[in-house]
Amino acid sequence: MAMALPARWNRAAGGSLRRREARAGLLFILPWLVALLVFSVYPVLGTFGLSFTDYNVIEAPRWVGLDNFRRMFGADPDFWPAVQNSAFYAAVSVPLRLVMALALALVLNLGVRGIGLYRVIFYLPALVPPVAATIVFMLMFNLDTGPINLALQAVGLAPPDWLRDPAWSKPALIILSLWPLGVEVLVFLAGLKEIPQDLLDAAAIDGATPWRRFLGVTLPLLTPVVLFNLVIGVIYSFQVFVPAIIIGGTTGEPLGSTLMFMVLIYRNAFRYFAMGYAAAQAMVLFVAVAALTLLIFRSARFWVHYEGGDQ
Amino acid sequence: MSSTRRSVGGTTWSRRRLMGTAAAAGFAAATGGRAARAARPTAQGATEITFWTPGGSPIFCDTHSAVAADYAAVNPDVRVNFQCGTGEGFMERFLGAVAAGNPPEATVLWDTPVSLGVQGALRPLDDLMPTGEYTPVENWPAGVLASCQFGGQTWGLPAAAGTYGIWYNEELFEAKGIPTDRASFPKTWDELRALSKEFTLWEGDRLVQAGMVPFNDPASFAPTLPIWSALNGGQLFDGENQRYTLDAEANVAMLDYFLAWLDDEYRGDFAQLQRSGAWWTYPSDEGQPPEFQAGRLAMVEQGSWVMGDFYAYDEPGFTRWNVASYPVGPGGTSTKSGYWPNWLAIPAGTEHPEEAFGYLDYMSGVGIAKIFTVVPDMPTNAKVEPGVPNIVVERRGQEFGEDVMAFFRGQLDIVIPMWDSPVQSFAQDQITVALEQVFTKQAAPQEALAAAQRACQAELEKVLAGAA
Repeated sequence: MAMALPARWNRAAGGSLRRREARAGLLFILPWLVALLVFSVYPVLGTFGLSFTDYNVIEAPRWVGLDNFRRMFGADPDFWPAVQNSAFYAAVSVPLRLVMALALALVLNLGVRGIGLYRVIFYLPALVPPVAATIVFMLMFNLDTGPINLALQAVGLAPPDWLRDPAWSKPALIILSLWPLGVEVLVFLAGLKEIPQDLLDAAAIDGATPWRRFLGVTLPLLTPVVLFNLVIGVIYSFQVFVPAIIIGGTTGEPLGSTLMFMVLIYRNAFRYFAMGYAAAQAMVLFVAVAALTLLIFRSARFWVHYEGGDQ
Repeated sequence: MSSTRRSVGGTTWSRRRLMGTAAAAGFAAATGGRAARAARPTAQGATEITFWTPGGSPIFCDTHSAVAADYAAVNPDVRVNFQCGTGEGFMERFLGAVAAGNPPEATVLWDTPVSLGVQGALRPLDDLMPTGEYTPVENWPAGVLASCQFGGQTWGLPAAAGTYGIWYNEELFEAKGIPTDRASFPKTWDELRALSKEFTLWEGDRLVQAGMVPFNDPASFAPTLPIWSALNGGQLFDGENQRYTLDAEANVAMLDYFLAWLDDEYRGDFAQLQRSGAWWTYPSDEGQPPEFQAGRLAMVEQGSWVMGDFYAYDEPGFTRWNVASYPVGPGGTSTKSGYWPNWLAIPAGTEHPEEAFGYLDYMSGVGIAKIFTVVPDMPTNAKVEPGVPNIVVERRGQEFGEDVMAFFRGQLDIVIPMWDSPVQSFAQDQITVALEQVFTKQAAPQEALAAAQRACQAELEKVLAGAA
């Protein structure tokens, strides 16, 4: 016959269990927590501290207060052009990447023969080193012999001088950004697999066309995934670096049109040894991207649909 | 769109591409990478020193390895651990190692040691230089050694330097009945421009052959602009007084002159000029072949390393090239030359600077002479007799090779101080931007140079204030 324990004993036993579980949980996440603190939190705090100093990596940082920020916003002739270049790049490339990745995912979600192979093929560009991809694209953008211009000429369009004309150099970078879509496609594909088939079937029985089913069922249920890809895309786009520096060098040729914010940070840090100033620019980028991300999350309540209504 | 390049062996390294790849692999992957302990006693009791190069072709690195082995054979107390860089992220890695107190004992630099010295990343060598066989001050051409000197201290050794001259295609000259001997080469900019125009040929809106295009690409023109400025009686940076003089009258006049050249000979259309070809000795980033080697460019300003790089791409379209001195500008009085060195340096904080310096002394003489046979960056030390690069002997014969080598050695005597600014990279970027604005007619020379002058002087003063 079981003997009922007093309530306070139960509470004490439960509390002890919870503490043990909490300790075990903490131990399990400890490696990740340590890595987070050492490799993420500490560098961010360190960058924040360095942004108020004059620091050249070798000698001890020297406190300069807000001088780096004053210089950035008031005296650096390259700061605002780099902001504009990066903002333009993000504003155009992010939506384009989303649309193209979604379109590709929809195609790769079709149950045709050999679809696995197609999925692999479309993921492969994500594995190509960015330096190699950029160099190949530079050859493809060649005015006279590049296949892109040959294709344009074949359909009667005037071929632009992609890499020398400041009006076309950013579009060239944006086109280049559409090449490695594998990760976004993969995320969209996973999202598409989660959409209940019975909903799509019900819509079809009700006479909805494929386009209508996409707009009325697929897209709303996919909005959490769109949100994810959007946030990641915005963060990624403001950090565009390798293609920009290979195509435009440290001066953003032609005429500063490819001078992206990350290139500015890089050249200040490692070419001009102005690590403190670069840290200040990195902090500004961090705050700007964080604010944009917050804005996107705030806006999510108006357009992201979660199954079960959970926002 | 082409860029400034240096070549080692058969591989061309573009400064900008070097930066790009450095960015890609070095920065994107962060500056992780812990360097091995730089110097330590080996099991045999010899002191091991680590020696870095920023990068290089296999033949360049293999020869460095051979030099290190040679050195160990005659200096059993020291073992050189040679590490050939990949060209990726060298500066990040180097600065990181110095900051972490774990630098290599010695290194090759492809960027001026003055900037690094001012920042405290290098050890001054003045106390050690008199102790070496090759390294005493009197063994270095003063103009070349100036690239290592700042604040009364010497921060590196300019062991090898590509010396600049004007390369020309003798076969194109002969076809037009123009004398090909060096003595007959134009002596003034006006003569050069007139000669250039004789070769320049347009077909519709395409330039199919050019005489000379010194301003073919802003990024590659910027490093040699100090030479052109000196030829016109000017100066871009006054190292003695630590001030920039970019917008001085002679420099504005120089850019006005080049702009007139662009307008007169190349229809004033810089974009069209660039679209028409890679008007120098290296392919463009878009894969256009080098027009000088293709025989479509009669003259080109380049360094002595082109003795090797002339043959580094497709088989050249002609055989007989030659080299002449720079003509003098309207404001100048005599010809000048310039250079782009490989510097040797000892980072701050090394454990065995004496052993490291011993190796640098060896490198300055015996080592660099050996490397020169396969990589034609000229030894600069007065005690080194470099011989003739193998490739020149094979292609043009010993006699011609000796003549060209004598020419380049002579150029070393008239080099102007270059690479001596504590803000060299910053200034180079500013000058590149100014040149791009001028040649694309976004800004007048006076305006563009004044903007660059303001930026460079402000940066210089900031850095000097920090260094004080």
